Amino acid sequence: MRLTIQRDHLVRSVQDVMKAVSSRTTIPILSGIKIVANDQGVTLTGSDSDISIESFIPVEEDEKIIAEVSQPGSIVLQARFFAEIVKKLPQDTVEIEVGNQFVTVIRSGKAEFSLNGLDAEEYPRLPQIKEEHVFKLPTDLLKTLIRQTVFAVSTSETRPILTGVNWKLENGELICIATDSHRLALRKAKVETDHHLSYNVVIPGKSLNELSKILDDSNESVEIVITENQVLFKTKHLLFFSRLLDGNYPDTSRLIPADSQTDVIVNSKEFFQAIDRASLLAREGRNNVVKLTTLQDGIIEISSISPEIGKVTEEIQSESITGEELKISFSAKYMMDALKALEGTEIKISFTGAMRPFILRPLHSDSMLQLILPVRTY
Amino acid sequence: MGKIRKLDDYLSNKIAAGEVVERPASVVKELVENALDANSTVIEIELEEAGLASIRIVDNGEGMEEDDCLIAFERHATSKIKDEHDLFRIRTLGFRGEALPSIASVSEVEVKTSTGNGAGTLICLKGGELVKHERTNSRKGTEITVSNLFFNTPARLKYMKTVHTELGHITDVVNRLALAHPHVSFRLRHHGKQLLYTSGNGDVRHVLASIYGMDVAKKMIPIHAESIDFIVNGYISLPEVTRASRNYMSTIVNGRYVRNIPLAKAIESGYHTLLPIGRYPIVLLSIEMDPILVDVNVHPAKLEVRFSKEAELNELVENAIRQAFQAKTLIPEITASHPASPKTEQRAFSFTHSIKEPAPLSLFEQKGNNEQNVPLPAVKKDEQTNDDIELYEAPVEFAVVEENRQKEERVEKEIEPPKPHVEQENVHERIPPLYPIGQMHGTYILAQNENGLYIIDQHAAQERIKYEYFREKVGEVASEVQQLLVPLTFQYASNEYVLIEAHRSELAECGVFLESFGHNTFIVREHPSWFPKGKEVEIIEEMIQQVLDMKKVDLKQLREQAAIIMSCKQSIKANQHLRHDEMFALLESLRKAADPFTCPHGRPIIIHFSTYELEKMFKRVM
Repeated sequence: MRLTIQRDHLVRSVQDVMKAVSSRTTIPILSGIKIVANDQGVTLTGSDSDISIESFIPVEEDEKIIAEVSQPGSIVLQARFFAEIVKKLPQDTVEIEVGNQFVTVIRSGKAEFSLNGLDAEEYPRLPQIKEEHVFKLPTDLLKTLIRQTVFAVSTSETRPILTGVNWKLENGELICIATDSHRLALRKAKVETDHHLSYNVVIPGKSLNELSKILDDSNESVEIVITENQVLFKTKHLLFFSRLLDGNYPDTSRLIPADSQTDVIVNSKEFFQAIDRASLLAREGRNNVVKLTTLQDGIIEISSISPEIGKVTEEIQSESITGEELKISFSAKYMMDALKALEGTEIKISFTGAMRPFILRPLHSDSMLQLILPVRTY
Repeated sequence: MGKIRKLDDYLSNKIAAGEVVERPASVVKELVENALDANSTVIEIELEEAGLASIRIVDNGEGMEEDDCLIAFERHATSKIKDEHDLFRIRTLGFRGEALPSIASVSEVEVKTSTGNGAGTLICLKGGELVKHERTNSRKGTEITVSNLFFNTPARLKYMKTVHTELGHITDVVNRLALAHPHVSFRLRHHGKQLLYTSGNGDVRHVLASIYGMDVAKKMIPIHAESIDFIVNGYISLPEVTRASRNYMSTIVNGRYVRNIPLAKAIESGYHTLLPIGRYPIVLLSIEMDPILVDVNVHPAKLEVRFSKEAELNELVENAIRQAFQAKTLIPEITASHPASPKTEQRAFSFTHSIKEPAPLSLFEQKGNNEQNVPLPAVKKDEQTNDDIELYEAPVEFAVVEENRQKEERVEKEIEPPKPHVEQENVHERIPPLYPIGQMHGTYILAQNENGLYIIDQHAAQERIKYEYFREKVGEVASEVQQLLVPLTFQYASNEYVLIEAHRSELAECGVFLESFGHNTFIVREHPSWFPKGKEVEIIEEMIQQVLDMKKVDLKQLREQAAIIMSCKQSIKANQHLRHDEMFALLESLRKAADPFTCPHGRPIIIHFSTYELEKMFKRVM
């Protein structure tokens, strides 16, 4: 294999596929990046136990020559070193040449590296996915979808299914749900699809996080293909594969209360800041608990007590309080996570008693919802 | 003038008693050793109030003649050595001739003894004075009763601990004596309650069982090692059986229980990385050597000894233990109460190292294509080599693998395996092939084979694999040295200085160049560049200490900590999902590890539930 390539394109591609390369792996070859060159362009691949990323650099784009492949071929190079090397090379072009025994020479300007490579034939193959049933999402919407749900997944493998986000596609509507069993995030979106597709899958939260990191903020659309145990996200030059989690996602529809006893409408920003302040002390205690009390004239009181340090109380004026009086305690962290994820300046919080889950929603939108379980104090 | 006078015997005995008779346990030790030296085969020990009220020891040994019996209570009277020559070839437990007069001087002693010929002798002493002397019956052997111990030394009596503590010391002493003398039957009773009973049939295992319990004795394995000077025999516990103190390591030299710190260290290094930190094994080592190689005349209690060829002995012991484990499968088994192992077992076919089994991982499957799944090329290679062997050896696709190595006592000579042994290439592998079933909590790999279920800690497993890799790696260090602007100085005592001087070349080979710098001081102007920053002085001091202790520098050992840390950092963590092929790769490399049973911190890696145990748990077999 022998090729010359523009360094900035190579760096970007390497950084993308690096997201899928883990330094800790039980199969040594997976700590490398696979590079395949042919007359169309250069393909880089990284893979770990959850995801595989394939980035393609075309020979020519927008009438500009990006790469020149003088001899097609393939190689696997240690990702850690290769990524650092290309980042620091002195010139704008990089020459890569594979010699005997997979020794690979990387040249740029007067700098020359020889890396011991591995046989690309030993690299596991990426899944072949038939692209029959495809649906599309604009990149920015996809990133929002991820941002609004993925923080709520469980980080513990004790219940593996909860480490993922449940994607349900029905009648052209996609519903994403994540929960770690203390709180739940839900987001709905309309998708472009030409079929009457319906899916119900669970995508690992880690994969979605990585995906959202490598997608640019554009409104180009991402093609999504779902198979029995894989999902593929496809952009112009990028293939992102993730495994799907086995098992059935718990039925969450029953968890969301339909009616409420107390409704509070607050300004999202003011409310967030008050919680943030209260949590300064709450954080010191073990479980970061703050207390919310409804007072007269639409005033709510946020308070927290940490016996060794002290206490905090703050009153904020809400837009409106309807329904019964309420005292409720909850985790400040969950509340702040939820507020961060929601859009809109006005938030409606619907409580159904001090011991029951409560819901946060933007005042004028039905497409997103956050549910939090209160903390019982006694 | 006239200030200095010779003390009378009574007083000097009492002073000697301070050293020899420290507590009731010392009395028991001295008297039982006498009984052993008299070739007894049954020794009974009866205690009242943990020996403070009375100690009665009955043996069936040679006994004493009347005049011997009287002279025995004189200072420095002994039958055990005759001249200086004997002092350096001591084969008996006692020899100093101090014990009896010392004991007699602080208690009331009654001795009944007979050689079996003619009438026996009975004498009583109180505080060292003869109060009674008459004839008695002629049962062969000796019966000594020591009562009112320390009645005339109130200070010592005051410092006696509780009955339980003193009793603990006594049982400890008797346990060790029993371990050292499996041919003698020991019976220890306290207020008539039996505390120890050994049969005296010569099997140490039985003694171990009566002291530490059946379960422990079952988990001890025999070791044996020999060199020109030493013969080492003994039993060591499997790493799964540990105790929190070093007290359970008994070393016996020529039938004498001794304490020797370097020897204990050698045992611990034999267990290196197999035991968790702060845990110690149960060990019984019996070492035979020419008495001339050991000096027992260090302390009246003879607990401490000095060895002439200490380094050789320690190395022998360390290697013996290490080898014993290298030959063993150390997977702790989960046992239900009584694992009565099945008596006969049909041998079974087992698929050779079946590579086809790990179904080509979900991620790399071709979906909806009628093409065949492409297996991983890496795996394919292996398969090929296997195929080759099969073709070469036999046309069958199976090889016979010995079922259940542990249960080997079975009579099964008739069922000869139908010969081909593809297995042979795997002889160095110490755990059977394992096939992953899945992962639990992102932390444990469940795996199976024909012997049952295995649970593997994924982090610990990879830590062990990486550790073995890095341990070799860190020993090889580049020979680059960093110059110092201000040299480091090291001061040592004169005796150490001389030793270090002698071994300067060894240190120089490791890149530490010591220059003499005035009185007992060295300076170092440069050090190898691999020394971690800020730790230079510490490392050089450690190296010099190694030279002082072991006369050589062991870089591998110095950097071992580094290897452990590196291996821990580079390993997959708990709470991390693994694909099927990743689990398979991990299990395969674990099988190739030299020591696949514990992680470098000594925690276990694999736990095994045998099929039989599982069936028992589910009451499929009763």
